[in-house]
Amino acid sequence: MTTFDDVCSSFTVPPRHSVRGEFLVSTICTLHQFKKPNMRVTLCLAILILSSCPLTSAADPIRLTTDGHTKRDPVFLNAQGTELLYVVLDKPNQLRLMKLSLADQAISPWHMSETRSEFEPAVSTSGRHIAFVQNRGNLSLAMVIEDLAKTQVGEVPPGGGFSGMHSPTFTRDDLRVFFSYPEEGRQQIFSVNLKGEDRRTVIDSEGVNNWPQVSPDGRQLVFSSSRDNDYEVYLADIDGSNPRRLTRSPGQDLRPRFSPEGSRIAFTSNRDGNYEIYVMKLDATGLVRLTNNSEQDDFPLWDPDGRSLIVVSERDGQTDLYRIATSAF
Amino acid sequence: MVVPADEIWVKRMLDIGSFRASTCAGIGRRAFLQLGSAIPAGLMLGPSLLAEGAKRPRAKSVIFVWLWGAPSHLDTFDPKPDSPSQYRGPFAPISTKQPGVYFSELLPKLAARSDQFSLIRSHVTSQSGHPDAGTVGLTGFQERPTPVHPNFGSIVGKNRGATGDLPPFVMVGRGIPRDVVRKVEGYGGGRLGTGQDPFMVSCSDDGHVELPSLQLLEGLTPNRLTDRNVIRAKLEATLRRLDQSSPHAWDRNYQRAYELITSTQSRAAFDLTQESQKTRNTYGQTTFGQSCLLARRLVESGVPYIQVNWSEYVECMTPNCDFGWDTHIYNFELLQDTHCPIFDRAFAALLDDLSGRGLLESTLVVAMGEFGRSPRITNRAARDHWPRCYFSLWAGGGVQPGRTIGESDKYAEDPVTTAISPLMVGTTICELAGLDTQARAEMRVLDGGTVIEDLL
Repeated sequence: MTTFDDVCSSFTVPPRHSVRGEFLVSTICTLHQFKKPNMRVTLCLAILILSSCPLTSAADPIRLTTDGHTKRDPVFLNAQGTELLYVVLDKPNQLRLMKLSLADQAISPWHMSETRSEFEPAVSTSGRHIAFVQNRGNLSLAMVIEDLAKTQVGEVPPGGGFSGMHSPTFTRDDLRVFFSYPEEGRQQIFSVNLKGEDRRTVIDSEGVNNWPQVSPDGRQLVFSSSRDNDYEVYLADIDGSNPRRLTRSPGQDLRPRFSPEGSRIAFTSNRDGNYEIYVMKLDATGLVRLTNNSEQDDFPLWDPDGRSLIVVSERDGQTDLYRIATSAF
Repeated sequence: MVVPADEIWVKRMLDIGSFRASTCAGIGRRAFLQLGSAIPAGLMLGPSLLAEGAKRPRAKSVIFVWLWGAPSHLDTFDPKPDSPSQYRGPFAPISTKQPGVYFSELLPKLAARSDQFSLIRSHVTSQSGHPDAGTVGLTGFQERPTPVHPNFGSIVGKNRGATGDLPPFVMVGRGIPRDVVRKVEGYGGGRLGTGQDPFMVSCSDDGHVELPSLQLLEGLTPNRLTDRNVIRAKLEATLRRLDQSSPHAWDRNYQRAYELITSTQSRAAFDLTQESQKTRNTYGQTTFGQSCLLARRLVESGVPYIQVNWSEYVECMTPNCDFGWDTHIYNFELLQDTHCPIFDRAFAALLDDLSGRGLLESTLVVAMGEFGRSPRITNRAARDHWPRCYFSLWAGGGVQPGRTIGESDKYAEDPVTTAISPLMVGTTICELAGLDTQARAEMRVLDGGTVIEDLL
């Protein structure tokens, strides 16, 4: 006789509908609480029928790009969330900034004739400036700050020797840019003004400090640090003081990003064996795993309305941008 | 001096160029053979006499995965989680199939397959610069005195000869590995002659294969190619004027090159569109992943030696430099975001694929770079060159899997067990490929080399 547990154990999560599958597994587990066997079996059959249908539910990730090339670093170009800037390995020797219009899925290079690698873009709160890392030669990378006319207004040039900037992000008043830079055996977080001048140390500790982002109210800074062995997520006051550790997990917790209203943080973690997207509250409670993909999910980006996340997801060996509705979790 | 038009035509034909073997959509419309001056003689010669005397190889084919630029051993296959923070780095160790053996958390697929390959953690090389160490890593010897010693692949290739129309030594990458200043001198035939140079192939992330030894010649189409007699007669006549001394050699060379792309077998070997989408996806849509898949196809077609280079412009962010795994900056970001995930996926797929097709037993797979990277984290929060200790992976082809050979000290600065040299690597590869001590001596190669017995 087929039991409920047999049914559950035979349930397989469709890989292409992993978020929905995760929801269904959760629901099935809830059904364990039903005491009447008939009720349980009936509900199980209903769930199996649901799971076997090729539905396009709100929980299904929506694929935004389809070329499958290596991608990274999505950011919204405007507060309306209608245009994205992201990075693609356009040629074997060039990482390129690309603009994606979500209305018609049109994709175009941000700098049409650029031949140097450019990556890790950041857009200011007002949308008037962008900052990004630009290759200047052999293992030599600068941080460039542009206005929306794509005119350079400032830069932090590469340091001496092999050297490169990391992960720029703007303050909420659009007056300064935070970035990560390695010196003296550790990687610190600094800030400069829009001309790339007046460098100030913000975060300084042992290990690597990276992926800073300023909270929506402008008062806090979230980042990852390897000061306690592997990467964990930390929160500090905007001047870098009062750093406190939010995550305590095996593996890496990377690329933390504040939700638009500032109450949650999305980040990437491999704590369950591969890279998935998680969300937690600012006090590190309420942890939710958003993705359940056997391949990599990374680079979380909140939609401006907070109702979905853009992620870079590897599926069937191809890397593309996907949108995950928050209703899925 | 006025050069006859047909000589110009032939000289153009002799230029090194490219042949667009195939796209995902099939054979390129203008795909065309060009006889290349760089086409190795190994392509036109049959198996050498030495092969007749060599013992039966345990490895019918060798795939040598060349992790150019030198990967960090601490952040991959020799983690030191108990070392101080200035050595350890941010990555945690994860368990493998072997009790007590840990890999970096960046390599979960290979950790789960550690019973399919063996790991050496006690390599040492004599050179600390890329081209010099590259030559030592690929030949077993330093570049001086010249002529340089041959690449292990050239030795195996000369011994085994071509298989049908396919060359005996294929290098998959984007040209000869090099740094900003110069190429690796030991990439090819060396003192065995340019005829034993590898047949160069490149492969893009979507599986587009190019054969740079053959040229796409503007205006000539595959249809015109099929008019073999016309082209051949024209070519022969001109070549004889250019090189009266060896018209027959030119003839054979031309014929081999021609047959390489006109024969169904050869064309199919380079055509990744004949793989299922599922298989191609399994390797990953990356240059390195598809290159590994191409290597497996070449093994199936009987090519004795394939060198897959993580090489020029493969997943590279700084142009004008063959960056590879040379992570003087961005070490932890690159390993985490690109290099290790790409390698973990593709190399695991290669092992699974070979095993699933029953090819792993007869195919030796080796992966390594030219040296390791500095255990102590640099001022740039990265790692520099480190020739005193590094790793290699070995699978199939007579190698006992699941072994961890050699051990490094507490900071992975030096081996605490017997150091294993590149010469030993080459000797072991050739031994498994059928060149025993006598065969190597007759070829005058790998003098003084010993086999890594712990692998066998």
